[in-house]
Amino acid sequence: MKPDPNLLLSVVDLGIGFPERLIIPSINASVFSGELVSVIGHNGTGKSTLLGTLAGIRKKLAGEIRINGKDTSVMSRKEFASMVGYVSTEQVNAPDMKVYDLVALGRFAYTNWMGSITGEDKKIIFDSIEKVGLSRLMYRNIGELSDGEKQRAMIARVLAQDTSLLIMDEPTAFLDLRNRYEIIHLLQSLAVSGKKTIILSTHDLQSALGESDKIWLLTDGALEEGAPEDLVLKGSFDNLFGESLLKFRKSDGNFYPVREEKESVCIRGEGLMKQWTIRAMKRLGFRIKEIVSVNEITITSDERNNEWKVQKGEKHLVFNSIYSMVYWIKKNNA
Amino acid sequence: MTKIPSYYQTQIFAENPVSRIYFGFIALTVLLVIFFALDIFSGSIGISPAETLNILTGNSDSPYSAIIMKFRIPKALTAVFAGVALSVSGLQMQTLFRNPMAGPDVLGISSGASLGVAFVILGFSSLIPAGNISGLGNWLLIASACAGAGIVMIVIMLLAIRVRDILTVLILGIMIAGGISSIVIILQYFTSETMLRAYVIWTMGSLGNLTPDQLRILGITITAGLLISLVTLKMLNALLLGETYATSIGVNIRFARGLVFLSTSILAGSITAFCGPIGFIGIAVPHIARMLFRTSNHKVLLPATIITGAIVMLLSDIISQLPGSDKVLPVNSVTSLLGIPVVIWVIVKGRIIKSAV
Repeated sequence: MKPDPNLLLSVVDLGIGFPERLIIPSINASVFSGELVSVIGHNGTGKSTLLGTLAGIRKKLAGEIRINGKDTSVMSRKEFASMVGYVSTEQVNAPDMKVYDLVALGRFAYTNWMGSITGEDKKIIFDSIEKVGLSRLMYRNIGELSDGEKQRAMIARVLAQDTSLLIMDEPTAFLDLRNRYEIIHLLQSLAVSGKKTIILSTHDLQSALGESDKIWLLTDGALEEGAPEDLVLKGSFDNLFGESLLKFRKSDGNFYPVREEKESVCIRGEGLMKQWTIRAMKRLGFRIKEIVSVNEITITSDERNNEWKVQKGEKHLVFNSIYSMVYWIKKNNA
Repeated sequence: MTKIPSYYQTQIFAENPVSRIYFGFIALTVLLVIFFALDIFSGSIGISPAETLNILTGNSDSPYSAIIMKFRIPKALTAVFAGVALSVSGLQMQTLFRNPMAGPDVLGISSGASLGVAFVILGFSSLIPAGNISGLGNWLLIASACAGAGIVMIVIMLLAIRVRDILTVLILGIMIAGGISSIVIILQYFTSETMLRAYVIWTMGSLGNLTPDQLRILGITITAGLLISLVTLKMLNALLLGETYATSIGVNIRFARGLVFLSTSILAGSITAFCGPIGFIGIAVPHIARMLFRTSNHKVLLPATIITGAIVMLLSDIISQLPGSDKVLPVNSVTSLLGIPVVIWVIVKGRIIKSAV
């Protein structure tokens, strides 16, 4: 049987781990060109080990890794480096290294013994810096960049390496929300328009489920692969957190904290104000009901006056913010 | 979006310090020539500048001619060799170990070379007629010193792979140096008085005791070491990324390490063999070069380190002559006094590369 020409990476019976401790004995998985694959799993299930092994940084313990049908163990380092690029959370910290210098190192596998940068190399370097939006900081020391900018520079470096496969070990860890979003967006656009194939590990389940073409779910000693939706339907995520505080809800694909529900509360009103009031009460652990007894709380959100009327037994109170209302409820229900 | 923006073409020279590099190299080269000349003009025997010039141009048969031609010029050349070799080995080690405090003397590499020298002078000297350390003896001395340096280098690297903490590696270097000096003391205990004296004089470090033969050998080995360091340039730049990323962009780490070991052992070993242990040049000069050129690119740093190393060593030699007096200081005390402030400045300013992973 002729293999699918779009099959970029295939992993056959791959064993990963350390010489003295096997983490996953046998992995079988595949990735097609242009796919975005998210690797998820708890700490210690072998995400970094797997990615490091695929990126050629760690030794595999058994099995085969094929890229474009060719066994990676017969490739020279340079040949391999022209096919697979790697970015992790490890940051480069060399004094006086400019963004340009860093990105130029991506050309290592292509330059001569002196590492001379040709006109063609230069164009690729500028292109890569432009793609991650760092052109203005091209001659800035990497030590002066913010964490987000640094990670962009690392991505530019791997783009300059001009590989079809990018392996990224938690590329957004340690970044704030905005930077995290921007990096993920950048990676997506690279996968779609740049014809890059990306395998990344992440702890952000929500975006992994929402954005990936394929999930590699690592559990104790095994890898399960499939479209995120397939894994949801199969129930693979149901027990991801065991009996702990997070519960996966199949109906909307979200994870919800499990809380012990205490008393009931009735919430009247309409629109956004009512929705967010409900949310606040859920956070406090209340059960939301249409009808409650006299001794329980009834809240009426009044959008016109922008206030909340609270009734409990004989007491009638008015609050002008959810915060002050929550404060009162906490104090009185203690 | 893939179109290259036009502004980099206009800004490239404004932001990219190319002019700084050209200017820096011109200035350094001028300084090198000046200090080389000054080193020839100064010495414990007062020879007037005019007379020196006459001797140099061959227009004089002054009795001082021999001093200039047979002593001062070889000594200045030795200073250049020593400065270049020690500084380049320091630069390579700092990048390889990703440790700004690395240098041939700090990590015990020079001690290793000393042990090699001690073996030859104190141990095997009975096999070579005393006072006849020439011909085969010189090569034996150099080979032994380089081997000693190389062995310590490998031991330190094996340790550094296990403990990635900069300070721990430095402490291990001190331990190794301590162990080696104990072995040397034991060797001293069993040797004859003349050889002991020869060894002690060697440890004080000197640029002026080389025979023409030794100078020629030094020229050959230093050139070899520098040629190897040229081959390591591209890899040194990549090693700045740390070994993980370096591997991922296609560096063969073992090969890179092997070449750097070879180059460093030859450079530091052969200087130590003939000039004695000269401290703090190897660690300080690369930092001066970085400070001058503000770059991490070894294609700039290597030549900068070479020229700066030569200048600093010539300056040390000039100072050790104590111009205007007939006293001469041991050159390695001068290099320490010049180098230590630079090292302290580096520590205080915190230009410390973080330990890997």
